[in-house]
Amino acid sequence: MLPISEKTMPIKLFLSVLAVALLATVGCTDEQQVTVQRATSAGPGLKVFKASLDGAPSTIDPAQSANIYANTVVLNAYDTLYRFKYLARPYVVTTNLAASMPEVSEDGLVYRIRIREGTYFVDDPVFDGGIGREVVAEDFVFSLKRFFDPTQRPRGTWLWQGRIVGLDEWKVAGSDYDQEVEGLRAIDRYTIQITLKNPYPQLIYTLAQGYSAIVPREAVEAYGREFSSRPVGSGPFRVLSYDSSRIVFAKNEKYRQVPVDIFEEGYDRATQGFSGVEAIHGRAPPFIDRLEIHFIQENAARWNSFTKDNEIQYLSVPNEQVDNILLSKQPIRPKPEIAAKYHFYHGTEAGFVFMTFNMSLPDFGYSEDPERERRNKALRCAMIKGFDWQRRNESFYFGLGQIFPGIITPTVPEFDPELSRESVELDIEGARKLLADYGWTAETLPELAYATTAGVSQRMFYEQFRGFMKKIGYPAHKIVLQQYATFGDFSKDISDGVLPFIAKGWGLDYPDAENTLQMFYGPNGSPGANDANYSNAEYDRLYEQAAVMQPSPERTAIYRKMNQMVIDDCIAMSGLSRTRIYLWHKNVIGIPDREIVGGFYMRFVDVDNSAGAN
Amino acid sequence: MDVLQYAIRKLIGGIPLILGVSFVSFLLMVYFGPDQTFELLGKNPTVEEIAEVRRQLGYDRPFLMRYGEYLQEIVTLDFGLSNSTGEPVSAMLARTIPISLALVTPGFILGNLLGVLLALIAAYHRGGWIDKTIMGFSVVGMSVSFLIVIIAFQILLSSSFGLNLFPVRGWNVHSLQDYVMYVTVPTLASVFVALGYNTRFYRAVLVEEMTRDHVRTARAFGIQPGKLLYKHILKNSAIPIITRIMFSIPLVVVSGSLLIESYFGIPGVGKITFDAITTGDQPVLKAVVGLTAVLFVITLLATDILYRAVDPRVSLK
Amino acid sequence: MSAVTEHIGPGPAGIDSAGATDERRESIWGKALYKFSRDRSGMLGLGVVLVYFVIALGVWFGIWGMEWSDVEGPKWGSMSREHWFGSNIIGQDIFQRSIYSTKTAFEIGLVVAVLSTIIGALLGALAGFFSGTWIDSIILWLKGVLDSIPFYLFVAAVAFALQGNPWAMHVAMVSTFWTTTGRLVRGEVIKLRNFEFVEAARAIGVPQLTIIFRHIIPNTFHILLVQATIVFVAAIKSEVILSFLGLGVQDGVSWGLMISESTLEVLAGFFNNFIAASAFLFVLVMAFNMFSDSLQDALDPKKVAES
Repeated sequence: MLPISEKTMPIKLFLSVLAVALLATVGCTDEQQVTVQRATSAGPGLKVFKASLDGAPSTIDPAQSANIYANTVVLNAYDTLYRFKYLARPYVVTTNLAASMPEVSEDGLVYRIRIREGTYFVDDPVFDGGIGREVVAEDFVFSLKRFFDPTQRPRGTWLWQGRIVGLDEWKVAGSDYDQEVEGLRAIDRYTIQITLKNPYPQLIYTLAQGYSAIVPREAVEAYGREFSSRPVGSGPFRVLSYDSSRIVFAKNEKYRQVPVDIFEEGYDRATQGFSGVEAIHGRAPPFIDRLEIHFIQENAARWNSFTKDNEIQYLSVPNEQVDNILLSKQPIRPKPEIAAKYHFYHGTEAGFVFMTFNMSLPDFGYSEDPERERRNKALRCAMIKGFDWQRRNESFYFGLGQIFPGIITPTVPEFDPELSRESVELDIEGARKLLADYGWTAETLPELAYATTAGVSQRMFYEQFRGFMKKIGYPAHKIVLQQYATFGDFSKDISDGVLPFIAKGWGLDYPDAENTLQMFYGPNGSPGANDANYSNAEYDRLYEQAAVMQPSPERTAIYRKMNQMVIDDCIAMSGLSRTRIYLWHKNVIGIPDREIVGGFYMRFVDVDNSAGAN
Repeated sequence: MDVLQYAIRKLIGGIPLILGVSFVSFLLMVYFGPDQTFELLGKNPTVEEIAEVRRQLGYDRPFLMRYGEYLQEIVTLDFGLSNSTGEPVSAMLARTIPISLALVTPGFILGNLLGVLLALIAAYHRGGWIDKTIMGFSVVGMSVSFLIVIIAFQILLSSSFGLNLFPVRGWNVHSLQDYVMYVTVPTLASVFVALGYNTRFYRAVLVEEMTRDHVRTARAFGIQPGKLLYKHILKNSAIPIITRIMFSIPLVVVSGSLLIESYFGIPGVGKITFDAITTGDQPVLKAVVGLTAVLFVITLLATDILYRAVDPRVSLK
Repeated sequence: MSAVTEHIGPGPAGIDSAGATDERRESIWGKALYKFSRDRSGMLGLGVVLVYFVIALGVWFGIWGMEWSDVEGPKWGSMSREHWFGSNIIGQDIFQRSIYSTKTAFEIGLVVAVLSTIIGALLGALAGFFSGTWIDSIILWLKGVLDSIPFYLFVAAVAFALQGNPWAMHVAMVSTFWTTTGRLVRGEVIKLRNFEFVEAARAIGVPQLTIIFRHIIPNTFHILLVQATIVFVAAIKSEVILSFLGLGVQDGVSWGLMISESTLEVLAGFFNNFIAASAFLFVLVMAFNMFSDSLQDALDPKKVAES
């Protein structure tokens, strides 16, 4: 029997060697891979802006940047033709890589866009000699073509599907990049020409989205699928490191120097002057040396990190903190101690939350029996009347959400603030009466499966919904929770059209009501965006008519008519737009935004490192 | 030579185990697992797009073929590219495993060392108030949920509502000092939770040894306590203690770090594994589970060999 | 991270092996009962557990805790006469929910404990009795496989495979928790196998299965009982984390769900949910642990033989 020391000695030795080895490898764990350039740590005097997002992108390939997190990152690493003005509210499109607004032909079918000269990709081994070359019109053509090449796994194809002459056919013919597409060409080194099949007024918005960011063919071909984590772009920043907890950018020294005119950008001294953003006028962005975006999903961690002085400097306030930081909600004002420490700003989200019935299922929707269909409509209308938006707003959105009738959200120009609020007002009596009049009783009411992704908040939504329905006479045991472990599975069943009732949120892709109206357009039925499977010939006709119209009072009138149809047919419980509250440390100079402008604001941020700034 | 033969035999014997684990986990996580198709598709996918993505993800190939490929991957240690991020899985593992190890090792070592220490004290004063107090704390430690401990510690130690001594989350380690800053709170939480179980177990083992006849005899002969402990008790207790430590290694590295990593935002193996499960990112899952199985078998083997080294009476049959 | 099951080792039954099974059994149980009744912490633990059990029964029979899902109260109401512990974010009564969760906890604990004990006993006994044969090898291999898959990954995988079926969690827990019981039973059975009474039974032609069921397994009851209590606790604790991860209880409410709700609330300064659920959970687990400890002490054959 070996004495104890000799026996445990090997173990102890092993453990200590292991420990030392680990410490050695742990090293600089946040700054490896992805990049060729060596990272320099932020020394004193270096301007660093640490932003936060409440989620992480799973990929930063522009063709796959389907969510807001990916979009935010992509817009900083890559160039898009257009962007949104930094400070203008409501949102206005302006030039980015494009030198000017597009020249559009009379019939609205041909767009000519000239890009700026002298824009370069960042240095990367895929280029000759490792030096990034100039961005040319052909690069944009290539980038858009990728959406019609299935091997790229694109997620934004729907934006241009069936719109551009020759592009869909190019895909069918095998997606050969050396083959020209008639409707998508570079007619000279710096000019792009797009030919549409039909007028598409929203086209310019699509060119401001992360999807349309410009990528170099060399990098895509060299890196293949790894391109989704190895960005090579021409944006204001270049990526130093990227992992699931944060992404670190350095200023792109080769970025074009275009001085900013804040009045052009829509500056409004009354509402935005407090931020000191006037100081950037006349200077060329980006102003910071390093940009860090931290992906912090857990509200607790994000808030804790923000309130310490040396971690993140900006966040969108988690709901639970709202009562702690707000003095009043109407108008929205911060508490003095908060106002003393941080800058404060709020805005209505570009999107909304709502619930729809799936009309393709006979339990609640269309039915072959006209009598049943009438009764179903009454049932839906009753349930809509029974939904207490006020309480929902107070419970989960701290009373800050903006409740509005219909599906045209408050942030788009076509919104009608005068529209009757009847469809979002609680009316228990009316609901009960409808049920009684149409022969719905506790025994005859159908079972409702409330489908949602797994999560504590979603569960609470369901329980509250069930509580609401109970008050109008819907038995609690007939409203059943159906939870999906992953968003993928949930989407799948939605796409298959098997769920009778869907609670969801929608983020606007662009500030045009068409983006929400298309969710009720008949041909977009499952597996498309029309989860409600709403099928109304008149609605569809109006939609097609408006789809080719430029913004105008006539078009707005058509939009509103369509909105009214959805309301009258009791298709959805809609809707609520959340109000987002932003806080940032006082040494950060800028006006942040989460949606629409989104990632574009970061190039305009400046940081004041002087001692008294905070 | 004997040992080598023994080792080889054991390794071969471990192959059915690896096959079993890989088969079960493949079945569960990969075959029945979540369908990642819709995660990868855009907003309004067409039927062709759906089919294309499914083909790329390999969902349309027959089961046995996919399982066969999986086995091949384990052997060659090449698990391809992550379905979500496109990063090579081996690179992801190479990046995250050191972090996870660096994260859990201090807690693991500390938890066991302290556990043995406390157990020694308790066992020695068996039945007395010291023993009862220590055991009382152990039971408390065993009764508190890990989750509660993590949340509480983060608020108490790291946030501005508490002591504000440590970073809330993240892993920005460039020096020993950084390492200490970032690893302290997670370590404290894990030790807190593990200590109860460890102490109890080690105490039971030690008491077992202490009540043996030869120890009682030695005591009766007036042997010094230190020597008693050392020569008679610890040596014999070594086997169960070592066994337990070795067996908890695979568990601690993967499962244990999962909660800590998500809550503290540490980019380690546990976190990417859990992300992979919830999104159905098969290459990552396959890699992690396959490697865990292999690790387990290797641990079994190592434990057996250690047994042999420790106690020649243990046969190699 | 938490050691899911414990490796207790009642020492080898070093007593003489000549005794007939029934006498030996009786002496262990009788002495154990006596010893247990004098162990104060154990009795206290048992008492508390029984109180919880009565609460759970009450919920089962619909006597109380039925209003856990009504959304009547104010948002984050503090303790009041209508809502003894206050109300949560959508106005549900926290006290009612805590009471109802007791039933959930017992359901999970009992189902998992009973099933895993049965499976562990059966497979362990089979493996031990036929030790060295292929039956033993297969069962050992099965144990090895299940042990080497990390627990939470396994549960998540099972939850997905069963597509959100409410029993997914139970299935996963039972599949992993039986292994320790099985291992202990196997060890004990290997020893028991060599006792004379087994040889005697064989000699007179009693079928092997009968021997296993009527003679051997009953002699492992002391192990089974203690293991069952340990598994009960492990099941309840695992449910907390599983519910937090979204893999746990689907319908109804449990302490785990309440705690995961509260992770958001504590930031806003509302602690009732967190404290109520944690307290209820902690007291039950602690009481059960004390009970289990005393049970172990009482049933330890070595100690029993000495007294």
